[in-house]
Amino acid sequence: MPNRIQKVVCASLTAGLLWAAAAVGSAAESKLLNVSYDVTREFYSAYNKSFADYWKTKTGDTVTVSQSHGGSSKQAQSVVNGLEADVVTMNQPLDIDVLHTGGGLLPANWSSRLPNKSVPYTSTILFVVRKGNPKNIRNWDDLVQSNVSVVIPNPKTSGNGRYSYLAAWGYALKKSAGDEKSAREFVGNLFANVPVLDTGGRGATTTFAERGIGDVLVTFENEAALVQKQFPDEEFLVILPPVSILAENPVAWVDRNVQRHHTEAVARAYLEYLFSDAGQELAAQHYFRPRNQAILARYATRYKPVDLFTVSEVAGGWQKAQQVHFSDGGIFDQIYQLNK
Amino acid sequence: MKKKQLWLATILGAQLAFTSPAADTNDTNRDADLAALKQQLLELSQKVQALESQRAADLQAAAAAAQTQNQDLDQKVRILARERELDQEAAAAAAKSAPRLQVGPGGFIASSADSNFVFSLKGVLQVDSRTFFNDSVNKNANDGIILRRARPIFQGTLYRDFDFKFTPDFAPSSGPTIFDAYGNYRYAPWAQLRSGKFKTPEGLEQLQEDVNISFNERSLASDLVPNRDVGLQLWGDIKGGLLSYAAGIFNGVGDEQNSSNAAFENEVEFAGRLFTQPFKSSDLTALQGLGFGVAGTSQNGTSNTKDLPTTTGGTLPGYTTDGQQQFFAYNPAIGTVVASREHWRLSPQGYYYYGPLSLLGEYAISDQGVRNTTTGAQAYLQNTAWEVSGGWVLTGENASFGGVTPLHPFDPHNGQWGAFQVVARYAELNIDNAAFPVFANPAYSASTAQAWSTGLNWYLNKNIRLNASFSHTTFTGGGASTGSGATTSPGVVTRQPENVFFTRVQLAF
Repeated sequence: MPNRIQKVVCASLTAGLLWAAAAVGSAAESKLLNVSYDVTREFYSAYNKSFADYWKTKTGDTVTVSQSHGGSSKQAQSVVNGLEADVVTMNQPLDIDVLHTGGGLLPANWSSRLPNKSVPYTSTILFVVRKGNPKNIRNWDDLVQSNVSVVIPNPKTSGNGRYSYLAAWGYALKKSAGDEKSAREFVGNLFANVPVLDTGGRGATTTFAERGIGDVLVTFENEAALVQKQFPDEEFLVILPPVSILAENPVAWVDRNVQRHHTEAVARAYLEYLFSDAGQELAAQHYFRPRNQAILARYATRYKPVDLFTVSEVAGGWQKAQQVHFSDGGIFDQIYQLNK
Repeated sequence: MKKKQLWLATILGAQLAFTSPAADTNDTNRDADLAALKQQLLELSQKVQALESQRAADLQAAAAAAQTQNQDLDQKVRILARERELDQEAAAAAAKSAPRLQVGPGGFIASSADSNFVFSLKGVLQVDSRTFFNDSVNKNANDGIILRRARPIFQGTLYRDFDFKFTPDFAPSSGPTIFDAYGNYRYAPWAQLRSGKFKTPEGLEQLQEDVNISFNERSLASDLVPNRDVGLQLWGDIKGGLLSYAAGIFNGVGDEQNSSNAAFENEVEFAGRLFTQPFKSSDLTALQGLGFGVAGTSQNGTSNTKDLPTTTGGTLPGYTTDGQQQFFAYNPAIGTVVASREHWRLSPQGYYYYGPLSLLGEYAISDQGVRNTTTGAQAYLQNTAWEVSGGWVLTGENASFGGVTPLHPFDPHNGQWGAFQVVARYAELNIDNAAFPVFANPAYSASTAQAWSTGLNWYLNKNIRLNASFSHTTFTGGGASTGSGATTSPGVVTRQPENVFFTRVQLAF
């Protein structure tokens, strides 16, 4: 083949490849996987749509977000084991820490990368009782009565269960002026009244609301609202105990996976949008307490004041809580074995 | 209660009835009796009422107790049912985390539940026949049945991101040979690093899997590109294959050659390839199967013989025909030829697949520096080749670079016969005129080979395929009908056109 023809062929191909490269560069369609805990389905379903619209307007790019839900700790373990989450939105920091300690999927300082220690909204633990509150359940003490059946998810697999456990523990400590023995007895009596241990918060809702088991469901505030909304005929009542625990729900992008998927920018923007006014407003609408005080104030009738203590105050932080209460052979295992 | 009252009233009435009216003296007694009876009646009535109240209370208590008992029982049943439900969920979750074994068209595959560890055993077996027509008396022993490929393929993944492949071939008469043996780190689909022995990223037809090529043998264009070599390659597919790239450093091998697994020379070969399927993800279905690209290699080699096609002629590999007979060799009348200085290749290439239609074409240039060790003559010889092939799946299945999957696998009991595809190809290879006579003997080697082929492929199912094809190759130059060129390789091949009929039975899983 004459050299001129070779040059024309090569030039044409080079032009074609450059055009293809340009097309690759300009094609912008991202996919994200948000691995979350059990009771955020509805919120993130709405949030994903809002963020996709925002992202399209801002960048012109299309983003599709898939969701995965389950018990918080189980979900975290799934990510460690290979579930390729771009972002994780958990209900407690331990379940994000494990992504660092268990797989090096993100750096140890993940919580410092977003405002408020990467906690865009909070929640608390309260009670859902049956129509008319037949057992007259008002406070934590009512849950340890011998004739009361309580539904709580397993604290070893569910953040919802851990918060419920620690809320009861904290209440008992307060009541007994810090006597751990009394607290242990109180929590033991409480879990003696738990007939079924679900692995996650949504499972506990199913047990209580759909399967008709128990007199009271102990769960997150947003889940309680959802139970009322989803089962209007049951006329469930939400009882806010005078004292409960502050549930801080952190979020993070998973560095290792976003690098693999080439989704660093969109994953980060997805989480930053949680802290925006639009994200905070959506959180408030779905019964999560926004960190933005102005928006929280607008929902003052919904979020009644309650005396909230933190995990640090009642258990010395999550690391210690995990070690003392929820590790194999910890206090929960001891009291639950005793009750069986 | 009413019966008892009636009975008392009857007794009282009877007593009154049998009392004489004349007995006034007894009136006082009678009144007293009457009062006593009334009192008795009242007491009895009260007792009855008390008993009845007690009985009602007992019944109510019993009913309440029964209701509580029922509620407790109901709760117990519900709890048991829920526990069973949770047990089933747990069992299902446990099953998901259990290792998986799979046997199917893809071979035998064992993997961990999370697919981070995968081991698979696959295999390729090809049994061919070649029948040559009108070949010279000196080559009439080339018909036969051969075991073309017999390759177990062991491949898998370790720790999610590390892949490996090991493919020996037991078919070569020289003994088992390693074809693929490499490890691959997959940082992301678009950034992967491969090391070991594998195909150099150059010829399009060469890069197509052996089990998916249209004919028994690759075309003349593949004579000018390297086969497998030992090296290190960075590669990836961007945006799901919209753009693919590969860039690597290899030991360097001659045209159509496989590496002998070792090379002891200073210079290495650089190879690179860019390939795009620009409409792969678009809505333009007619263009989704369009792909094109360019590939090239470059090596500044020291003088050696192994970087050339074999110089000895005969049946050893080199520039060969469809029938795998050598038609060109660097065997001049005087001296020995070795590779010298630079060797570069360039290969524009492309394909188009749309429904049952398949088209594939490539052009290959191999610019080889050579030196005659006796005469000291040096030259750069630019050999070129090209091919275009097409196919049509008669049974309507989609054709693809990855082969044809029958919609109705072979099952004569149910009237299913698999997929049939007709294929055709034209190819030619031109040797640089400067090769003759200093670097190749024009009395033996041809300066041009032109081949057309046509065939029928029968895909019984995803694993079994039967081929039949005919190939006709003509030569310019080369052997004559008389003299040494008629009996000396490769003149014995080039003295007349090659006509060969192929069949193949292929088992691949």
